[in-house]
Amino acid sequence: MIFFILGLPLAGGALAFMLPINRSRSILLFCVSLIHLLSVGSFWINRPSSVLSGFLDLDSFGIIVLSIFSLLFFAVSLYLPSYIQNEKGRSNRVFAGYLLLLLFSMTLVSLSQHPGLFWVAVESTTLLTAPLINFHRRALALEATWKYLVICSVGIALALLGTFFLAISAIQLKSLLFNEIVHQASLLSIPWLKLSAIFLAVGYGTKMGLVPMHSWKPDAYGEAPGPVGALLSGGLTNCAFLAFLRLIQICNSADQTEFLRPVLLIFGMASIALAAFSMLGQADFNRLLAYSSIEHMGILILGLGLGGAGFYGSLFHAINHAFSKGLIFLVSGNIYQKYRSKRVDNIQGVLRSSPFTGGFLIAAMFAVTGIPPFGTFFSELMILSAALKAHDYGLAFFYLFFLSIVFIAIANTILKMARGLPPDTWNEHSKNESWGSLLPLLLLGGIVFLLGCYVPSFLDRMLLKSSGILGG
Amino acid sequence: MNPVWLDRMLAVIVVSAICLLGISRIGSIIKLFAIQSLVLSIIPFLMNGPLGVHRIALALVTFFLKVIIIPMILFWAVRHVAIRRDSPGLFGISISLLLGGFLVGLSFFLSSCLVLSEKPFSDLLIPSAFSTLFIGLLLLISRTKAITQVVGYLVMENGIFLFALLLFDVTPLLVELGIFLDIFVGVFIMGIVINHIQNEFDHTDTSQFTALKG
Repeated sequence: MIFFILGLPLAGGALAFMLPINRSRSILLFCVSLIHLLSVGSFWINRPSSVLSGFLDLDSFGIIVLSIFSLLFFAVSLYLPSYIQNEKGRSNRVFAGYLLLLLFSMTLVSLSQHPGLFWVAVESTTLLTAPLINFHRRALALEATWKYLVICSVGIALALLGTFFLAISAIQLKSLLFNEIVHQASLLSIPWLKLSAIFLAVGYGTKMGLVPMHSWKPDAYGEAPGPVGALLSGGLTNCAFLAFLRLIQICNSADQTEFLRPVLLIFGMASIALAAFSMLGQADFNRLLAYSSIEHMGILILGLGLGGAGFYGSLFHAINHAFSKGLIFLVSGNIYQKYRSKRVDNIQGVLRSSPFTGGFLIAAMFAVTGIPPFGTFFSELMILSAALKAHDYGLAFFYLFFLSIVFIAIANTILKMARGLPPDTWNEHSKNESWGSLLPLLLLGGIVFLLGCYVPSFLDRMLLKSSGILGG
Repeated sequence: MNPVWLDRMLAVIVVSAICLLGISRIGSIIKLFAIQSLVLSIIPFLMNGPLGVHRIALALVTFFLKVIIIPMILFWAVRHVAIRRDSPGLFGISISLLLGGFLVGLSFFLSSCLVLSEKPFSDLLIPSAFSTLFIGLLLLISRTKAITQVVGYLVMENGIFLFALLLFDVTPLLVELGIFLDIFVGVFIMGIVINHIQNEFDHTDTSQFTALKG
């Protein structure tokens, strides 16, 4: 089964570069993502056995990350045909091909049990998204792509170095597979492990967009088309999150939790704080979303640093964040195609010009800022309660303070965009709302809404089991 | 095989990295990078132990990728963008060289703090790996032209490669090849992006990339 789920998107990607017309590529993209989603669903019932002598295996962290990405990818593949149709004269060859290859490498990320293989997979996700960010081929998009490539490659190179240090630390072990390292953690050399933890945190933190390694993120998200932004912020950040989960697991088993904790808390809090202030008065809608993504990454890392109930909250927040950010980026794709601008000043009266998109915009605003009944509210609350339980009152206070600044900034911007009359320059002939561009929004919004009302027992069990592995 | 020769080769790698800091002609920068990689590809032959398939494969892949293919891609990019010189950038040549020397000292200090459970086959290996890595990073952040930044990234990768030699017996070949592939694809994509940048802006000076802010 593991070979099937890896081979399917790889073959699909190769085929997408060969197929001649847009329509056939859209159908291919849809079919592959549907089959991928169904197979991932079947893994929840029947876990596939490991292959290649344990190099590829699906553990409980892996299945959470894989399911998030598969579902998000399905929504994007539903959304894409109507998006491409509105980009006049553009072929979807690049889109379909690279997206399917990206699905392959994301699947590989969640399956890899060897730090080296994991690194290869993460780096390939960076390389495969670069052409997608450059989709609009503007000068600004090019500048963003360059920054994204260079900063992420350097960050990832540091993560590679961290991986080597981990291997040096584990030189007395027979193999480097993650569960081997965790089981024989007493044999690890501690100075090298500490060095490795720092390099891995900085390297994968760059990929995740934590402050102060975040500078590529607003540019890349700002210039990427809506559906690509959805995958970048909802999906790709999770592969770095997975790296942090594994790092914590290793440090826990080697009794180095206290070494890693302050690093995580500082990264987390700095990201939330800087993102909150950068959002105030942000003039570009997509950049606003990018800073919101930095803020949420900060929340995830903060939850991991707090430990205890924070682990559960953090894992749950990763799910909620992926779908709510996916939702709002797809909404931003709709708005961009309607107004041909991302400047907040140029966008007014979304509720009038396209009522459904406007409705989803308001819903997404609540989902992203963590207002009940959306799932994000509950996961952010869990992280707050973890801070209070650990008697970190100062941390809890600043956490709430920055989250309220974020709420003010986002609500202010989005309400300005949603209300009022559309500007005179607004093009009457531009895109009208279609089923293809609304159904994926309904799917993603529905999931975040449902997770706020009810957490299915199989998911709850998996989250409990995963946070148990982390020591929560 | 021969520890004296191994140490000499490591010294050549570090010295060539320092020289990169002092050069501003882009053609020479690429050539010097190719020479550094050539020396790097000899090192697997100089290490202790039997000469297995694994080791020969590693040396050959390094040779083809970093001495032939990547410099070719870079020269192709240079021809397309029609630039010949890179300005010394952030620090100027003399300060850059001084910083390079400082980084080499720092590397020796760092590696004296870290003890290995097994003694590596050369005492110079870890310090020279750190030095190459740091100098690559310095090149990357101090230069303004896109191509020099790519070379800086590659020099960093060369430093990481030296670290990888410490782990020769535990890192499976397949993973190493995957890492090489990623570097290759990365440089290939960067080459294409450089070309696009030239068409769009008529220069490849990334210090003028200041439109995206805030």
